[in-house]
Parts: sequence; structure tokens; C-alpha cells
Amino acid sequence: MSIVTSRRFWLVVAAIVIGLLPAIFTDSYWRTNLIVCAINVLLAIGLDFVLGYAGQLNLGQSAFYGIGAYASTLLITQVGVPFWVAFVAGVLLAGVAGVFLSVFAVRLRGHYLAIASLGFAVITYQVLLNWISLTQGPLGIYGIAPPPPFAIPGLPPIEFSNLASLFYLTAGFAFLVYLLLDQLVRSPVGETLTAIREDEVSAASLGVNGQKWKVFAFAVSSAVAGAGGCFYASFVGTLVPDAFFITESFSILAMVIVGGMGTLIGPVLGAILLTVLPELLRGIGDLRLIVYGVSVTLVVLFMPGGLVQAARLVAARVRRPAKVGRDP
Amino acid sequence: MTKWLYCALLMVASIFGAPAVSTTSAFAADKTIKIGALFPISGPGSYFGTQDKQGVELALEQLNKAGVNGYKFEVKYEDSACSPLPATQATKRLIEQFKPDVAIGEECSDATLAIMPIMARAKIPLLNAGSSSIKITEPGNPWTFRIMPNEVMQGIDIANNAYKRLNARTAVILHENTNAGIGNAKVFADTFTKDGGKILADIGFGRDVNDFTSIATRVAGLGQIDVIPTYTLEGQGLKITQALAQAGVVKGGGGHAIQLGTIWLPFGFEQKAGKAALGYIRIVQFDPTDQREVVRKFVDAFKAKYNQSPTHLNAHAYDQIMLIADVVKRGGKDAQSIRDGLAATKNFVGVTGSVEFDKHNQNVKMDTVHYMETKPDLSWTALKWN
Repeated sequence: MSIVTSRRFWLVVAAIVIGLLPAIFTDSYWRTNLIVCAINVLLAIGLDFVLGYAGQLNLGQSAFYGIGAYASTLLITQVGVPFWVAFVAGVLLAGVAGVFLSVFAVRLRGHYLAIASLGFAVITYQVLLNWISLTQGPLGIYGIAPPPPFAIPGLPPIEFSNLASLFYLTAGFAFLVYLLLDQLVRSPVGETLTAIREDEVSAASLGVNGQKWKVFAFAVSSAVAGAGGCFYASFVGTLVPDAFFITESFSILAMVIVGGMGTLIGPVLGAILLTVLPELLRGIGDLRLIVYGVSVTLVVLFMPGGLVQAARLVAARVRRPAKVGRDP
Repeated sequence: MTKWLYCALLMVASIFGAPAVSTTSAFAADKTIKIGALFPISGPGSYFGTQDKQGVELALEQLNKAGVNGYKFEVKYEDSACSPLPATQATKRLIEQFKPDVAIGEECSDATLAIMPIMARAKIPLLNAGSSSIKITEPGNPWTFRIMPNEVMQGIDIANNAYKRLNARTAVILHENTNAGIGNAKVFADTFTKDGGKILADIGFGRDVNDFTSIATRVAGLGQIDVIPTYTLEGQGLKITQALAQAGVVKGGGGHAIQLGTIWLPFGFEQKAGKAALGYIRIVQFDPTDQREVVRKFVDAFKAKYNQSPTHLNAHAYDQIMLIADVVKRGGKDAQSIRDGLAATKNFVGVTGSVEFDKHNQNVKMDTVHYMETKPDLSWTALKWN
């Protein structure tokens, strides 16, 4: 194996790129987009774990995203809990909500599971909207502070009101989650989930408890989405239920599909592309959303395996030996 | 492979090769006032942005013929989509890439509240017309100004008028469950109750509700109702008015109750609602039948340019640009001086009414509140309550 094809090499490259990005993009607009990319990467890889690996069509990701955002924010603003304690609580609560959904959802498959998870997202949205005494509903929560400064002895404190610092925090966390999920899907756990995805009955005949592993996949996926929500609230500074409407679930699903379902790097690429593309297209004014829609449709039509499939095809073309000319 | 290549080329060409149509570039003049416009151009609120742009374009056309104090005006539109995160992204792009001297927008309160701190940090004045939430001006933000009356000003005024002028003693409040809907409903209820009236029911609903038959039936069973203040956008507003008429609750359906509304419904609502709208009394931000010269000139110019009558959204956007021009006329030339000029505004006369800001930068002039009643032929009659 050459160094260029080794996984470790690309992970080091990714870490270096994350480190360099704020230096390349110095204005607050692009640094804002970088943070949105990092949050969307979290959401997409979280969904890919349950959808691409465990084969569970979960359309409730917007609910877990919202639960993480509201739980952490309410703990900070109403109870006075420190940010990082609220962050852990938000992640855990989203994970518990995922387990709650999966207890019912493990009995369902395909379209039925999609409808059930969509229903969960609708119910969560309605709770966020209508439980005004707790969530402020449509009145919204404003002025949410960024994470508190992080002090390293001997160094000036790291202020997360600085967009570059906040990007390092969110992207660094997303990178860690990626590494963890990458280890998981390469371990027997990943093989078990893949077996359930391919044929649950055959997997059961080998002693795999499908229901237990599906609950596990839901819990991990929803906890990761909850972490995305915690970062969203402290980054945007404003929380309204509309940010977690069911259309958000479809946006996250689009990132996974466009990137390449069942690979972790695919959803990362999909999340980055679908976050950056609409911003790049702002320059063309009113045509922006048409071009965006057409672009996504073209990707799905011509590259059903997503960007990862396209990259593999290109790589295969490059590696293919030159044709030997026929004798005259 | 070839078709992929074409697709890729097409996308790249679209991104980098297309003209930047979102800028209304005035001239390559040295002295230009750059105005950033944060409007919802996509999504459910896109009708705001479309109409706002019409008003802005008309104002620019008139102002840039001769300029003001030697300045021309250039507007850059950004799609803020009526939502906090897209509005945040659009605002930062506007500030970083266009570097405006002043900005106008957003329409939705949630989005406006999200972008206000960003504009304040950048020290660029934000002139708002369409967001009614009290939170926008109440805490006091030196960089945000609002020319429309806020939810409290409108709510108190309409509740007092209902009690005193219409002799209403009972009310049922219908409102959408949004920041503005809940806020408006609360102010009405507090004021009307304080005056001595009684709220028989306060009914909220989501923007996803399409059938109001059950709500109208419930309202019909609440006994004698004098007024029904209704806070919702046009689509649901039409259905509510028709359902209340069918249930025989409001005057348009042979009932006793008068529906009341604020600025949410555009000009032309009556024609769409038909006879059900008979007797509907509502606040409008702009009265196209107003005989003031400034209004007549605006209406004529608008009709000549677009071949249609202007709405309150067109008028608001037009007034925003004209107010900025007035500040430039008084010496405004950059963000700080425009902010100071806006704060010092006294009796600016616009097509929606006059403007003078209080210490929280809220317009205090109540002549921007126009009361209209729907006549049997579905035209308006101005009630001259303010």
C-alpha cells in the first residue's frame, strides 16, 4: 500500500486542512460557512451511521438536532448549568430520545420506519412550537452566548466568540466523531450492522440480535445529531422551532445521498458541498435555487452512489492501464 | 464520461460565469451610498422580497436621476429567507463583500432579531419596516431603527378603538402561533381587558392549518361576540374570514361580530375574500386611496412602472430608501453619519406616514396607522381614527 492510499495519510491531510482553513478564509462570512459545514458534517455522518450502515431509513434527524439544541440552551439559560455540562446533557438526552424512538421503530422497516420517524420529527417540532412555557415556542430564545472561554495555563484564553476558534471547536469535534465512527464501522460492530442492513434474517441465524443493534445505531446517530444541535444554538445565538422543521431531515438526507451513503467520507463531502454550493451560487441572484436544485438532481441521476462513487470511477479511469494498440 | 464533463462545466459556468444580477448597480460614481437589502427572496416569505424589490427599484430610479447631495445609491440584495441561520449567513456576506453604509430588512421578526447583533458589531445601521416584534426596539439597540408601529403600538390602539369607538365588550382572538401572532394577541387581550372588555377565547393555530371550519364552529358557539381580532397572513386569513362568514359569526355572513386586523393583510384582500369580508376593520400601513400629494405621485409612478397598484410592502420599501435619501440630504455619507441622521429624523413624510424615532429608535408617529373598513362593494373606506 502506498502512503497516498493509506487511511492514516488522508486523516493527517484532513487535520491539516481543518487547521489551515481559517487562515485561508479570513472573513467572517466564510468562517461562518465553515462552522455551518462542520455542524452539517456532524448531522450527516450521524444519519449515515444508522441509514448507511444499519440500513434504517430514519427521517427523524431534525428532531434529535432540535432536542440537543433546546436541551442544552434551556439548561444554560434556565438552570444556570455550565456550557459543557449542558452540552453533555443535550447529547445524552438526544441519544435517549433516539433509544425511545428505536424501541418502537425496530419493529418497522423501509417505508414504515420512514413514516414513523417522520412522525416523531413532527411531534417533536410541535412540542418545541407549542410548549411555550418551556421552550418559548415561536417567541424564540435570543442572545444565546457562545461556549465560555477555554483557558490553558500559561496561554491567553481561547475565546469562542471568535469565529476561527469556534470553527476549530466544532470541526475538531466533528473530526473526533468521524474517527470514532470510522473505528466503529471497521470493527465487528460495523460488520454486524452491515449484516443487519443486508439481510436481517440471515444475520439473526448467525446469532445477531438485530433489535439490540438497531437501538444502538439509533442511539449513536441521534446523540451525534444532538451534539450538532448544541453547537448550532451557541453559534447562531437564536433558537426558533422552525430551524428544526421536518424539511431539515430531508436536507440532511440529501447530504448523505449526494455524498454517498454507506461510506463515512461520502456524507462529509455531501455536507460540505450542499452547504457551500448555495453560498457560492448567491452571486447569480434569483437563479440560485434553480441551479442548486438542478445540480443536486444531476448528481443523484448520474451518480446514484454519490460523490464517492464518482471519485472511485475517476480513480479507476486514472489507474486503468493504457490500451495496447492492435497490430495492423 | 463526456456527459459528466458537460454537467460539471455547466455547473462551473453557472457559478462563476453568470452575471451578478442581484446587485442594482447604479454607476461607477465616486460618491455612492451602498445599501444592503436583506429580504426573503426564497421560501414561504418570498412574496415579501419580491414586493420589497419593486418598491426599492422605483425609489432608486427616481433618486438616481439627479442624485442627492452629489451621491448616487446602489443596492445589493441578499436572500435572508425569513429564517435566523440563512439571515445570519446573508448578513455576513453582505457586510464582508458589499460593505454597505446602511442596510434595510428583514421582514420576519425571527430573522431580524438574529441579524441585529451582527449589524451592531459591524456598526452599520439597519432600517427595518416589516418586523413587528417588540423585542426589536424595546431593549434599545443604537443601530436598529423601525419605521412601522410595533405590535404594542398597534395592539393598544386597535383594542382601545374597539372598546371606545365600536363599543365592543366581548372579543375572540384568533392568531397564528408565531412570535408576532402571539405578541399581537397578548397586547390586544391585555389592553381590551384593562378597558373593561372580556376575552371569550384566545385561539392559536399553526401555519400548517388549512381548514378553519372547526375553529369557526367553536367561535359560533361562544355567544355574543362583538369583535374578532385576527392575526395571520393572507392565505390563512382568507380561509378564516370565509369560515367565520359561513358559520354566520361575522357581518359578511349575516352575523354580529366585526373582524379586526392589523398590517398582516395586503391591499386586495377584500376582493379575494368576497362578501365574507364585509365590515372587516383593519389597520393598513399604506392607503392607496390617500389623497396626499406624496402618495398620489407614488401610486402613479408605481402604476406606470409595474402596471399594478402598490401594496403596503411596496410602500414600505419605497419609504425606507426615501428615508435614507433624506438622511443623505441632511449630510449622511457613511454608516456612522447615516445612523446619527436616522436618529435625528423629525417629521419625515413618507407614503406610509411620517417618521420620528424615540430613544429606542422606534417610529412614534401614529399616522402610519390607517384604519379601513370594507364596504359592501368590497372597496375601502378610511375611518380617519388617527
